[in-house]
Amino acid sequence: MSETPSYIEFAEYSEHVPTNIPAAVQQATARFLGNRQLRIGEMPQWEELRQAASDIRLHTLLNLDSYLEKLEQQVTQAGGTVHWAEDAEAARQIVLGLARQHNVKTAVKVKSMATEEINLNHAFEQAGIEAIETDLGEFIIQLAGMGPSHIIVPAVHMKKEEIAQLFQEKLGVDAPPDPIKLTAIARTALREKFLNAEMGISGANFLVAETGTLVIVTNEGNGRMCTTLPDLHVAVVGIDKVVPDWESLTVLLKLLARSATGQKITTYTSFMTGPRRQEGESGPKEFHLVMLDNGRSKILQDPVGRDVLKCIRCGCCLNVCPVYKNVGGYAYGWFISGPIGAIFSPQVLGTEAARELPFASSLCGACVDVCPVKIPITQILLHLRRRVVEGDSIAPASAAPMVRSGAKLGALAFGVPWLYKLGTQLLPVLMAPLAKAGWIKALPAPANRWTRVRPFPAFAGGFRQWWHRRKK
Amino acid sequence: MKTSASNPVIENVRRSLGRQPGQATPARPPILPARQPGDQEAELDLLLKEINAVAGVAQRMDPTRLEAALADLVQSQNVRRACLWQTPFIQELQLTALLQRLGVEIIPAQAEKHVLATCDLGVTEVDFALPQTGTLALLSAPEKPRTVSLVPRVHLAVLRPQALGADLHQVFAEASRQPYLIFITGPSRTSDIELTLTIGVHGPQGLYVWAFA
Repeated sequence: MSETPSYIEFAEYSEHVPTNIPAAVQQATARFLGNRQLRIGEMPQWEELRQAASDIRLHTLLNLDSYLEKLEQQVTQAGGTVHWAEDAEAARQIVLGLARQHNVKTAVKVKSMATEEINLNHAFEQAGIEAIETDLGEFIIQLAGMGPSHIIVPAVHMKKEEIAQLFQEKLGVDAPPDPIKLTAIARTALREKFLNAEMGISGANFLVAETGTLVIVTNEGNGRMCTTLPDLHVAVVGIDKVVPDWESLTVLLKLLARSATGQKITTYTSFMTGPRRQEGESGPKEFHLVMLDNGRSKILQDPVGRDVLKCIRCGCCLNVCPVYKNVGGYAYGWFISGPIGAIFSPQVLGTEAARELPFASSLCGACVDVCPVKIPITQILLHLRRRVVEGDSIAPASAAPMVRSGAKLGALAFGVPWLYKLGTQLLPVLMAPLAKAGWIKALPAPANRWTRVRPFPAFAGGFRQWWHRRKK
Repeated sequence: MKTSASNPVIENVRRSLGRQPGQATPARPPILPARQPGDQEAELDLLLKEINAVAGVAQRMDPTRLEAALADLVQSQNVRRACLWQTPFIQELQLTALLQRLGVEIIPAQAEKHVLATCDLGVTEVDFALPQTGTLALLSAPEKPRTVSLVPRVHLAVLRPQALGADLHQVFAEASRQPYLIFITGPSRTSDIELTLTIGVHGPQGLYVWAFA
């Protein structure tokens, strides 16, 4: 699923959605939205928070170079190492290089969309290094060899009986079809991995430039396990995840969990700055941060499209999208789905590979209403549709010069009273020779664009005269 | 340190934005104002209520009831081994001795991770607490390892009222310069399997919070 696609056949995929997907997805999204609604009811300043979050995210993007420099300086000062990856291949090589350098046999992974974007697990597999997903849903789909159907609950489409059978086959244990017992099995199996892994791999929900701090949120505790127990911690993070300072987090952390699952806050939020400072302290000995570009710096050139980089990956747009809720995540062809996928994938993969995605929307705008950072998703979809049709130009939409001057002429003709009066007297006189039985079959260019398709009605008389006649 | 001249990513970002190296950055947009806390008792009530709402077990405690409460916990949670932070307050409560009297084997908090993983109970203090969400915030240090609140099956956190913070602004103001901070809100959980809520995944299965006066 996270293999970089060369072409996303959204129309084709959405015709062949497995029957269990929409029902499962709709159950999850309804649950999250219901809880979210309760949370919003408790937050009178919800709309102000959204605006503040949007402002902060946009401000950061527009000054991203200086925040990236600050981040690097701070992480380095804290004893970490920052690597810069221009693309997915560069990122894979850096992470693999670190794994080989440290003789890693087993790496434990926190759920990270950035690592799915670069298809890291596949690279580790090829290199003969075990990379185990530790988020329960990701662990399940990794065992099953499938991709995620939802950003937050990736295995929601699987029934407990399927999962029990999977555990029986792949883990060789007696597995009853009971979520609590299945979770206990996963806990035992993964505990051993957490304790013995030489390397922990994560992404980050936020990177705080002010202090070089990595912020990770989870409910399960696997985020803490992967970033505390192994001696080596490597984080792969998109350059768009930077926030200026801790104060910014006071806004963003209030929006993230509430938008994603309707919780007030996730069970765990870790704030990590560099490796452990002292001997005898727990935590990784070595910390490496791989900053991933992979097309994001290019996206910044597009004044409309770049708002996609404000995304904090809450998944709320998926939860409200009528399209997503009927086709699930696979139809979007890559690691990121729903409305955010429809505007991210075309900008990273190009409007050829992802040309169907901007059209995979009814433009209902439900996503725009819920996005915690106010990404103008429908605006970007329209913008990307134009880019698909006009071949990827990112110049702002400009009406053809002819239409522009036509509009200006029209404004004059209708706006200047004596011109208008003159026009109403002249026009019938000019058109009379062209009319036959009340219809004009052909007009000179550029008006022939109309008459090529249908006849133009001849003027029956002047409105003012008709009005005055009526009043009498 | 690498200069950004040798950093193609930052260079690409700058070029896309039309910015110059060293160009000034305007101030970050304003943040919403801080919360005014209620009185301490109300804040504590709110904290305990919120912790219980996320499947934690939170209650007020005093030193006279401590031994009985510990005995109860040890029995109901089948605690045979425990590790503890050694903070002045925990030492004052004599938790180590009390647990030993109950027949619990004490493992040093700095023990190697595999040994620590055999503990049933981890005891920590709470550095900051956020009443609105029932969140405990813990720092990290050699005598206060991160693993104690993470690896054992049960986490017991003792709280003094000084830890109560009004909101994130206050906690961040004090903790942002620290190399590590963890927010804990209830025991670990997941709904990944058929959206069925399951308590106890990779982090602790039980969170007990005892708030002292």
